[in-house]
Amino acid sequence: MKMPEIKLPKPSAITAKLKEAAKLFPDPRDVKLPKNGEELKKAAHDFWYGKPHEERRLGDLYVDKTGLYKHREWRGVKDTFYYFHMIWLYNYANMVADIMKFGGLGIFAKGLWRYRWMGQTYLPVLHWFDRGLEGMRGEALRASAWHYRAMVCVSINQFMNMFKADAKLHNGAHNEAWKHSMAHKETVWGGVFYPWSDQYTNIPMEMIPYFVTCHVNNHTVLNYIDAVQSLGLPGDPCPMCQAEAGLFVLDDMPDYAPFVVTTNEACDGSVASTAIQDWFLNIPLFALPQPMQFDDPLVQEHCANEIRELWKFIEEQTGAPFNWEQLKKKLEAQNELQRFEWEKWDVAAKTSSYPINGVAQALYRIYQTQYGDHYIWHDTDRRVKKILYKCVEKKIDTFPKTRHRVIAWSCAPLYYSHWCTWAYNCWGLNTIINMDSLMFDMEVRTDTLDNCVMDMARYHEWAPMRRMAVGGLHHIFELWDYMERFNCDMVMMYDQLQCKGMQGVVGLFEDEFRKRNIHAIWMPHALPDKRTVSRSEIRRIINDYMSTVMKEEPLDPTLLEFDDDMSW
Amino acid sequence: MKDLKHLIFFENLLQEANNDLVKKAQGEGKKALGYTCYFMPEVLLDLPGCFSVRLRAPRSGSPDMATYYMSNRTCHYGRALFERALEGGFNFLDAQLATETCTVTCRFQEHLGRMDVIKNPDFFVEFTDVPFKKNENSMVHFRKQLQVHVLDVLHDKLGIDVSDEALCKAIEEHNEICRLITEIGAYRKLDNPPITGYEFQVIQLVTLTCPKYLILPYLRETAEELKTREPEPKFPYRCRVVLAGAENDDPDFTKLIESCGALVVADRHCYGSLPGREAIVVEPGQAPLDAIARHYLNTSYCPRFMPQGEMRGRKKYLADIVKEYKADGLIVASNKFCEYWSYERTMDALILPRDYDIPTCSIEKEYVNASTGQLRTRFQAFVESVEIKKLQEAK
Repeated sequence: MKMPEIKLPKPSAITAKLKEAAKLFPDPRDVKLPKNGEELKKAAHDFWYGKPHEERRLGDLYVDKTGLYKHREWRGVKDTFYYFHMIWLYNYANMVADIMKFGGLGIFAKGLWRYRWMGQTYLPVLHWFDRGLEGMRGEALRASAWHYRAMVCVSINQFMNMFKADAKLHNGAHNEAWKHSMAHKETVWGGVFYPWSDQYTNIPMEMIPYFVTCHVNNHTVLNYIDAVQSLGLPGDPCPMCQAEAGLFVLDDMPDYAPFVVTTNEACDGSVASTAIQDWFLNIPLFALPQPMQFDDPLVQEHCANEIRELWKFIEEQTGAPFNWEQLKKKLEAQNELQRFEWEKWDVAAKTSSYPINGVAQALYRIYQTQYGDHYIWHDTDRRVKKILYKCVEKKIDTFPKTRHRVIAWSCAPLYYSHWCTWAYNCWGLNTIINMDSLMFDMEVRTDTLDNCVMDMARYHEWAPMRRMAVGGLHHIFELWDYMERFNCDMVMMYDQLQCKGMQGVVGLFEDEFRKRNIHAIWMPHALPDKRTVSRSEIRRIINDYMSTVMKEEPLDPTLLEFDDDMSW
Repeated sequence: MKDLKHLIFFENLLQEANNDLVKKAQGEGKKALGYTCYFMPEVLLDLPGCFSVRLRAPRSGSPDMATYYMSNRTCHYGRALFERALEGGFNFLDAQLATETCTVTCRFQEHLGRMDVIKNPDFFVEFTDVPFKKNENSMVHFRKQLQVHVLDVLHDKLGIDVSDEALCKAIEEHNEICRLITEIGAYRKLDNPPITGYEFQVIQLVTLTCPKYLILPYLRETAEELKTREPEPKFPYRCRVVLAGAENDDPDFTKLIESCGALVVADRHCYGSLPGREAIVVEPGQAPLDAIARHYLNTSYCPRFMPQGEMRGRKKYLADIVKEYKADGLIVASNKFCEYWSYERTMDALILPRDYDIPTCSIEKEYVNASTGQLRTRFQAFVESVEIKKLQEAK
C-alpha cells in the first residue's frame, strides 16, 4: 500500500512566517533605556504602578486588523498580577469548574461539536474580558471583572442545562432533564417561572445562542441572519429577531423542553419572528402578551390575568402545582438584588467613586434582571458591595480621566458593547448609566398573591428595550430626567437603524437636543449585525464629534483609528 | 363592461382625505374622527353625531418633512400620513382615535398628539390598548378599553350620545354597509365576475373613508346596478389571484396587477374586506359594546395575534379564501419596513405553496409605488408561471 505523501513546508516558508511573527514584538534594539536618574525613576514608577493614562498607547498593542494583542497590557505590578491571577487564570479555571459542576465534560464536548454558536464562542471568552476591561485599573478593574465572571457562570449554567436536556444530543431521547425544562423566549422575564424553580429549570431559548454570542464573538450571529433572509425575509426587520429566527432555520436550537413560552416583548418583530419559530419548534406554545399602553391602570389586571393563565398552562404541561412559597422566596431574593442596584445607582449618580465601567454595568444589569434570580448574582453583589463601599469610604476616583459623564440611550450595539471602555480610554467619556439598565426599576411585593401578581405584571411590562420605547413618547423623553439624576452632561444616542420604534422619533430627539443645548452623539448600529456599521465606523463618528464639535484632544491618540474588523 | 355609474365619483372621493362627503358631514355639524387600524372599531366612531375616517394619504410624493421626524427607515405609510398631516391635509379632524397596533402608525399618531400639527384647537388624540389574544381575558380587557378610551371620551369631550340605543343604530348602519360590500364582493366568486378587483377596492375604500350615512345611497345603487351588469362575453383575464398582505389603500396597485392579466378576486389586507366586512351580531341580552369588542377581535386575522392556533389559522384562512374565490394563485404584498408582514409574507410564500399547493408571489412594496415597471415584470412572470402550472395540470 502506498502511503499518502505528506508535504512539509519549505524551510524558507517557515523562516518567512517566523519573521512575520517576530514583527509583532518590539525590536529589542528599539527599546529605550533610561538615560538618567530621572528617567530611571520614572521607568520604575511606570513598572510598579503602570504608565499614566496619556502615555499608555493602548492602540499600539493591537495586531493590525485582528483586534488581538501583540502582548498583554502592563497595568503596573499589582493590577497586572491581579488580572493574571484573579481574572485570566481564575476565570479559565472556573470555566472548567463550572462545566464540571453543571454537567460534565462529555455533554459539553457534544454541545461544542454540535452547535455553531457554542463552538465559536467558548474559546474567545477571555478576549471578551480583555476588550471590556482594557485600560481599567484598581477597584474599577476588580468590580467590573466580577460582573463578567457572573455572566460567564450563568451562561455556562444555561447552556449546560440545555445540553443535558437536549434530545438532539441524546439520540432523540426525551430524558428526565428534558421533561423538567421550560423553554421560553429570551425576552420573557425568568421570574414568571419562579413557582416551579425548585423542580423545573427555565431556560431562555436565545439568550446564549444569540445574545451572549454577539458580545463574545460578533461573527457568529451573522450566519443566522443570513439564514433567515435566505427564506425571503427582507433585510430591514430588527436584526435581533432575524438572528433569533435564523437559529431555528439552521436547526441550531437544542430540543430541550416539551413546551415553550413566547412574548411580544420587545416589539412587533418579536411577535412576527415567533411565528417562524413556532413552525420549526412545533411544540405546545403559550403566548404571554405585554400590554402596549402600560401607563393605563386598566391594563394591569389584564396583564396579571395573562400571567395567571401562563401558570395554569405550566401546571397543565408539567403536572406540577403552582408553589407560592417558592415564588415568594425567589422574588425576595430578587428584590435584594434590586435594592443593591439602587445603591449602585446612588453612588453612580452622586459620586465619582462608582467602580463599574459602562459595559459591565449594562450587560450585568440586563442579564440579571431578564434572566431572574441566580446564586451567582448574589455572590457577585456581595463582592462588588465590598469594593463599592471601599471606594465610597476612601473617596477613590475610579475613573479619574473622566471628561464627560455620559448617559447611553436607546438600545446598544451588541457587537460593540465595549465601546464605552474604548471611549473612556480614548476620550475620557465615562458612561455612567444606560437606558436598558433603568428598566425593571422596582421591587415586587410578596405580602399577598394578588399584590404580587400585580407587581409582576408591572415588572413584566418594564422590560428592556421596551419600558421607554412603547406606551407613549413621554417615556423615551424621560432621558432628560435621568440625565439630571445621574449628573450627566452628554448623551450617547444609540441609533439602531432597524428599530422602527426608535427610528420613528429621531426628529423629535434632534429638536429636543437643540432646544436643550445638549451634546448628543448619534451612534448608528444594527444591534448584532456588524456589517451594517462597523466598530471602526462607530469610533470614527465619536472621534469626529469629539474633535470637531467638542474641540477636544484624545487622551490616547493611538486608539483613534485601528482596524479590528476581523476581531471577535 | 359598461362603466359603473358612480365609479368616477367614488374615485374622486379617494383623491383627498377631506373629500366632499366629509366636508358635507362636517357642514352638518358632525365630528370627524380619524383612525388607522381595524382594531379601532369604526362602528364606534360612526355613532350619531360623528363619523369615522380611516386615514389615507392619496397622491403622496416624497415625505420629506416626515422623514426628518421618523427617518427613512420606517414604513412609508406611516410617514406619508404624517407628511399629509404636516401639510395640513388632516386639519379637518376633530380627534384621532389611536391604537398602538403597529409601531410606525403608533409613532405617527403620537406625533399628532405631541406636536401642534392639526390646526384645530380642540383636536385630541386618545390611545386604546389592543390585546394580542382572543381569549376571554382579552375580550374583557378590550371592552373596557373601548368603553373608557372611546365611548367615555367621545361622550365627555364631544358630547356624543353613546347609549346602547345609539350603539345599536350605528351597528345597524354598519351592518348594512357590510351586507352591501359582501354582496358586491361575492360577485368575484363567479367564473366571469361583473366587477373587477380595482372597482371593488375603490368601493371598499370609500366605505372606510366617507361618512357611512352619506355613502350608503350610492352603495345601494351600485349593488343594484351590479345585479344586471353584464360581464365581458369571455373572461378577459389570464388567471385569478387573491391579494393579501399589509396596509394597502392604493387601488392603482390592484389595477397594475390586473393590467398584467390577473384578476384580483379577493382582498385580504389591512384595508380590504376579508376580513372586515362581516356583520356585527348582537345576541339577545348582550350589551352592544360587548358584541363589538368580541366582533373586532374574533374577526381579525392580523399577524399581531400571538397564540399558536392563530398563527396557523391565518394560513388556513388564506388558503380557504383562495379556494372559495376559485383563485389560481396568491399575491402577498407587504410594505417595506413593516415588521409584521415581512415575516408573515415570508411564511406565506413558504407555507402556502408547500402545504396548500397554492402558487404564491411575494412582493415588497412602498406606499407609493413609483417603480411600477419592476412590479409589472414580477406580476407578468407570476401570471405566466400560473398559466404554465394550469397547462401542466391539464395534461
